[in-house]
Amino acid sequence: MTSLIVERDSALPIAHFTLAFNQGSLVDPPGKEGASSLLLRLLRRSVPNMTAPELDRRLDAVGISAGVDVSRSVAALQGTCLARSLDQAAELVSAMLGQPPGDEQEFARLKTEALGEWTDSLDNDALVARRFFSRKVFQQHPYCRLTSGTPRSLAQIELDDLRAAYQELVVAEQLRAAFSGDVTATEAERFFERVQSRLVVDTARPRADETDPTVPVGRRLCFVDKPQRSQVQILIGGLGAHPKDHDRTALYVGNTIFGGTFSARLSHEVRSKRGWSYGAYSQLGHDRRRHSFSMWTFPQASDAAACIALQLTLLEQFIERGVSKSELLAAKKYLLNSHAFALDTASKRAALALDQDLYDLPPIETFKDRILAVTLDGVNAAIQNRLSASNLLVVVLGTASEILGPVEASVGHLATREILPFDQQD
Amino acid sequence: MTNNDADKTALIDRVNAQATAHGAFDYLGPLVFGPHLHIEHFRMKNGLDVLLLKDKSAPVISFHTWFRVGSRHEKPGKTGLAHLFEHLMFNEVEGLPAGAFDKKMEAAGADNNASTWLDFTQYQEAFPKQHLKTVIELESKRMHQLVLREPQVDSEKEVVKNERLFRVDDDVEGFVEELLWKTAFTQHSYHWPTIGFMQDIEGFTIADCEAFYRAYYAPNNATAVVVGDLNEQKTLSLLRDHYGHIPPSVLPVEDIAPEPPQDAERRVHIDQPTTAHKLAIGYKGPALGDRDHVVVSVLLEILTGGKASRLHQRLVRDLTIASEVAGFVGPHHHPSLIEFSVSARAQHTAEELLAELDRELDQVINTTVSDDELSQAIHRMELSTLCSLESADAKASSIGFYFTLLGAPGAVFDRLQIARTTTPADLRFAARRFLSRQNRTVILVAPRPTPSPAPAEETAVSNP
Repeated sequence: MTSLIVERDSALPIAHFTLAFNQGSLVDPPGKEGASSLLLRLLRRSVPNMTAPELDRRLDAVGISAGVDVSRSVAALQGTCLARSLDQAAELVSAMLGQPPGDEQEFARLKTEALGEWTDSLDNDALVARRFFSRKVFQQHPYCRLTSGTPRSLAQIELDDLRAAYQELVVAEQLRAAFSGDVTATEAERFFERVQSRLVVDTARPRADETDPTVPVGRRLCFVDKPQRSQVQILIGGLGAHPKDHDRTALYVGNTIFGGTFSARLSHEVRSKRGWSYGAYSQLGHDRRRHSFSMWTFPQASDAAACIALQLTLLEQFIERGVSKSELLAAKKYLLNSHAFALDTASKRAALALDQDLYDLPPIETFKDRILAVTLDGVNAAIQNRLSASNLLVVVLGTASEILGPVEASVGHLATREILPFDQQD
Repeated sequence: MTNNDADKTALIDRVNAQATAHGAFDYLGPLVFGPHLHIEHFRMKNGLDVLLLKDKSAPVISFHTWFRVGSRHEKPGKTGLAHLFEHLMFNEVEGLPAGAFDKKMEAAGADNNASTWLDFTQYQEAFPKQHLKTVIELESKRMHQLVLREPQVDSEKEVVKNERLFRVDDDVEGFVEELLWKTAFTQHSYHWPTIGFMQDIEGFTIADCEAFYRAYYAPNNATAVVVGDLNEQKTLSLLRDHYGHIPPSVLPVEDIAPEPPQDAERRVHIDQPTTAHKLAIGYKGPALGDRDHVVVSVLLEILTGGKASRLHQRLVRDLTIASEVAGFVGPHHHPSLIEFSVSARAQHTAEELLAELDRELDQVINTTVSDDELSQAIHRMELSTLCSLESADAKASSIGFYFTLLGAPGAVFDRLQIARTTTPADLRFAARRFLSRQNRTVILVAPRPTPSPAPAEETAVSNP
């Protein structure tokens, strides 16, 4: 693996940096979901001999912004600074990451904030629906656990848990870094070494590795009940692609045709022809193991049942009949041409290269060749092999007393039905 | 005459040699865009402004069309028409059935989108540079050959109604924002939301849409911004060939009443299906072109910009009565609002939030901020400004926005310069000018008692 990526572009006097560790929230102990997220957030606030507000003022004073991003498989501290402040950014970031968290008071404050964020998030229907989808589609697999945690799991986390997570996550061997913008390779190396030299050296811990999630059997309805909703959130899907699947690119092209663009089948039928939903998309999630395929729409409550029925019919037809030659040609053209925007800035190029490293993805330079190599038979086989209209999860966030009956009828061939309050934690 | 002027005169002569009466260009000169770049400004005889910026950092181009029409140009009873029209522009064009526009754009690899706000409507495409002709052809067609008929208009009205549910009616913050502006403005057209009121959206006819199109979608009401790896002569020639035959329109004379000065606080209490109390405040603020707009932006960095800001420190960190604080000054043609929004933590009320927020605002009215605090705010602005200009598309957005509103495409850098010269006295003056209580509208939101959601239940279903 490459540890350091540099994409230089000195057009603007700013530099971006990402320090990423190649493990994430999957290392959180069961019942303590949210620990790695709290850890990174606490580290971001902590340098020796400075309070968190003093640190924030110091960062602002020299033009540095810094934040954290924790996913299931990666924990990262990232930021941007005025190019002239790069040295100070290196000093502060290495100090943030260079010692285990120790400030009990700041930890208590952070936990309270995280609990408040959970409460605030309940106003965001799309986020709540997505959280339920994520929890239910992966069943008992570790991917079902929330990176942000829940009030119950956050309450269980102690500072010692974060110290333990620090020993596991924030170690020199796990560090990868990407720099872009007005930064030379020498400056980036110096920054990287400064951070790395402060980290724990521990070769004994291999990266946490899991098996693939299993395929859920039958059609399952998870109705998330929230009172007084005039609009519903609908997520329908199941398992999707593994990064090492031989037909991963073919499935990606298939998804582009089904729901990946504004003129794709799903958007055309749901939005353009019927006006039922402002957005109608499908996507393939990605991680180190098999992830999800999902469709997302948000129609008026009165259109919800009809919209679900239509989406299921479209998916059945997509799997049974496949895509046409002209659809494939159009999708390939779109993907080949629009690829320029994956690479049009230094920060995007650096982020892609880092992702390639962290998720062990095929080189981005091979993207066009892989798209060109996709055949009609290949796409249709990938759709049939990887997607299922029988084994599906349907998550609907709406008001059960008003639409549960028609929604249930619209799903058809239902194996299980759950009704859950929108504020249920787990 | 400078070398650049001579070059441009020769360039224009070559392009104009094949132009129709409407399609010839005038060269209006270079305009500064930051320390290292400049924009070339041309105007076609039919009134179309053209702004070109070469940026060779990637083999891509961004093409933006900015129309000087937004929701402020609408009339009561017809609110949301500018926004509905933005949706309709993706439908049928003469010679291209509904759906073909997007398919052609996608085939070119174009990432296209559009937006409408109070003062403008804009359309944007970012694409590999070899597809410039396709994009200009499609954009010029929809400027004057749009087809408005059923069922697309009805279907698009349904989409917009759903967008309104998503952004306003089923979204607490969107609902509060609409109420804040509706209450703060009583005479000016900033009273209504850009998305429009539901009954107005439902009532639009094809005749309404056609009248709007004829009135506002014309080259003399638009600016084409082209940024990226472009060749000037080729770009101008394509614009000449595809826009040169479009005649200018007689633009309606704007008919807007100024908002009368506010002489007393307006306060509204509402309940909403939310888990926490919320507070939204709007002070009548400066127009975008007012120097104090920049000064207020600096002041808001001090008050709400990031975790070191005064309101975050006081409400979120020290008192722990809020989970989030935000501040914003409307970047609009006419004076609009300086907004604050706060979400309460646990059972703290909007009244508690307001009392603490008032204490902090009194501080900036009565005392001066330190040089260190001012310097931190300016560095934050500098960083966020530079970060917002990385791609060709981002540069085109900034150029189009500031040209449409201020006639100054490089204003993003001018504003940064004003920020750098702002003094503590300027900040206190702006605070005194705008942040008086009689000059504000306050919305206090309490959680609405709602029926409990159904208890968890799981059932195995036996299928027929």
